[in-house]
Amino acid sequence: MSETPASTSPSRCEYSAAFLLLRLFLGLRTFLAGLEKFESKGTYSFANYYANMGRMASGITGASFLPLWATKNFAHSIGYLLLVLGAALLLGLKTRATLVLTGLVYVGLSFGLMAVQESEGVAWLGIHVIMIAGALVLVRHDRFALWPTKHD
Amino acid sequence: MSAPSTPLTRRDFLANSAKLGAFVAAAPYIARGADAAAKTDQLNVALIGCGEQGAVLLNAALKIPNIRFKAICDIWPYRRTYGERLLKKFGHDAKPYEDYREVLSSHPELDAVIIATPDFKHSEHTVAALKAGKHVYCEKLMSNTVEGARAMVLAARETKKLLQLGHQRRSNPRYLHARDKIVRDAKLLGRVTNISGQWHRAVTDDFGFPVGQGIAEAKLNQYGFANMHEFRNWRWFKRYAGGPMSDLGAHQIDVYNWMLGANPRLCLASGGVDYYKTHEWYDNAIAVFEYPTQEGIVRATYEVLTTTSAGGGYHEYFMGDLGALKISENPKYTKLYREARAPEWDEFAKKGIIASPLSGEGAPAPVKPWEKQGVKKLAAPSNATVDVRETAALSAWEIPVTLDKAIHQPHLENFFDAVRNGTPLNCPGESAFATAVTILKINESIAAQKALTFAPGDFTA
Repeated sequence: MSETPASTSPSRCEYSAAFLLLRLFLGLRTFLAGLEKFESKGTYSFANYYANMGRMASGITGASFLPLWATKNFAHSIGYLLLVLGAALLLGLKTRATLVLTGLVYVGLSFGLMAVQESEGVAWLGIHVIMIAGALVLVRHDRFALWPTKHD
Repeated sequence: MSAPSTPLTRRDFLANSAKLGAFVAAAPYIARGADAAAKTDQLNVALIGCGEQGAVLLNAALKIPNIRFKAICDIWPYRRTYGERLLKKFGHDAKPYEDYREVLSSHPELDAVIIATPDFKHSEHTVAALKAGKHVYCEKLMSNTVEGARAMVLAARETKKLLQLGHQRRSNPRYLHARDKIVRDAKLLGRVTNISGQWHRAVTDDFGFPVGQGIAEAKLNQYGFANMHEFRNWRWFKRYAGGPMSDLGAHQIDVYNWMLGANPRLCLASGGVDYYKTHEWYDNAIAVFEYPTQEGIVRATYEVLTTTSAGGGYHEYFMGDLGALKISENPKYTKLYREARAPEWDEFAKKGIIASPLSGEGAPAPVKPWEKQGVKKLAAPSNATVDVRETAALSAWEIPVTLDKAIHQPHLENFFDAVRNGTPLNCPGESAFATAVTILKINESIAAQKALTFAPGDFTA
């Protein structure tokens, strides 16, 4: 008489929990990364944002081949993008599309750091991209979403 | 719109003409009066000795207002011409002399004399200048003999003229801030227990001289030199100077005495002519001192090495039970350290007595141009403790005072201020005498190969 081995594959519930953790982490990380761009010496303002981003754009341009118009446009939009995408991840708004867009933002940031040969930063952002790629694999298990993605 | 003009009457015209005439007649006297007022502040100065150090002092003095060089003296025409040309370039009509006695006898208008001749001539030149009624700024070391140094102090006392010695760190604002604010007022070092100091310098070639510019041996002999090689390299020969301890160590050991407000009671030293073949004086020497202070004994070491620049350049390092001060004329060797057990120093930073380092040791990690400023970064992991007896690392701080002038300029300014306004000298003869006694004892100890003691009376001329 043969014995049926106990199943070792995770249940749907476990996948859902794993994805929720990823979504919350990435949502918080992305939202706060956007928020900190408005901060300077403990205060938050739009003036701080444009000062911080102006410095970042000119710093990248000064140390790379990237033109100032490109770095400036990217820098001036990145904070708002991160805030919107981070909030969307936390709330669960069209999570699959949000993850793809967030991944693209991180790839864009990595590109800037690759241009200035900032290897540590690239590795750091690479971890984010890997986590987003993993999240996309698990996105079908998305739960507790305000505006769920339609699954196949 | 222009103001309506009033007709000029004959009476007005005559009155105004009379006023104008009176002003024109008085103008030369008014101008002369103003000139005289400016001249009262002007000091007439001569430089005796225009070698390497003389040129340094000359360049520093030329930056000080209302100093007029009237004479320049050197036995070597080559250097004398250099000094004369430099002074002419800056608008000084200084007469050149070979013999210092002619300077003193031909220029009654001189207020002060700067002496930068070899050490063995300091006493003769200084005493003569003081007795001629001039104030004197003389390079260190005061003299290569205690007797010579004593004669200088006695001459200054007798003539009631000022005598400043060239231990210029005493007028350096960073040194003054360190001593007065950090060590004495704020007592950030706690009880000072140890001092170390050093001047490490790489091997250098002997000085030569341009072809055809040598001085005839008879003339050199007349002024006390054996030959041209010894004339150019007098610092290395015993009949002219005190060697590296006197040339380099004198500045730093003077700071030991000055910072502690004390003189040593014991000296033990070792040294030798280990490397150079053409010198008489020790090329490497190490000295140990014991300083009795009101707070207890301070043990000090000092080493002068002229065969290697390894080991951190030149500095004086005062170590106490709460903190340490590493100070040098070169700001890059200067740092302040707080012991982990000492109270926090933030309040002193707020008062501007000390500062957080902006770069180098103890400074926050540098921010790249594209990074946001002011973000707290995790501190780099400190080196692991390998022995339980190790104490926690010291925190590094900076002295927020820098000198933005030539290093000798503030000391010369102090001298000229003393001549003009009676400002106290930062290094008067009496005080420099104590330093000379301290330094000359090192060479004595090396020769005797034993520890030598000082009696308190040794430091008084």
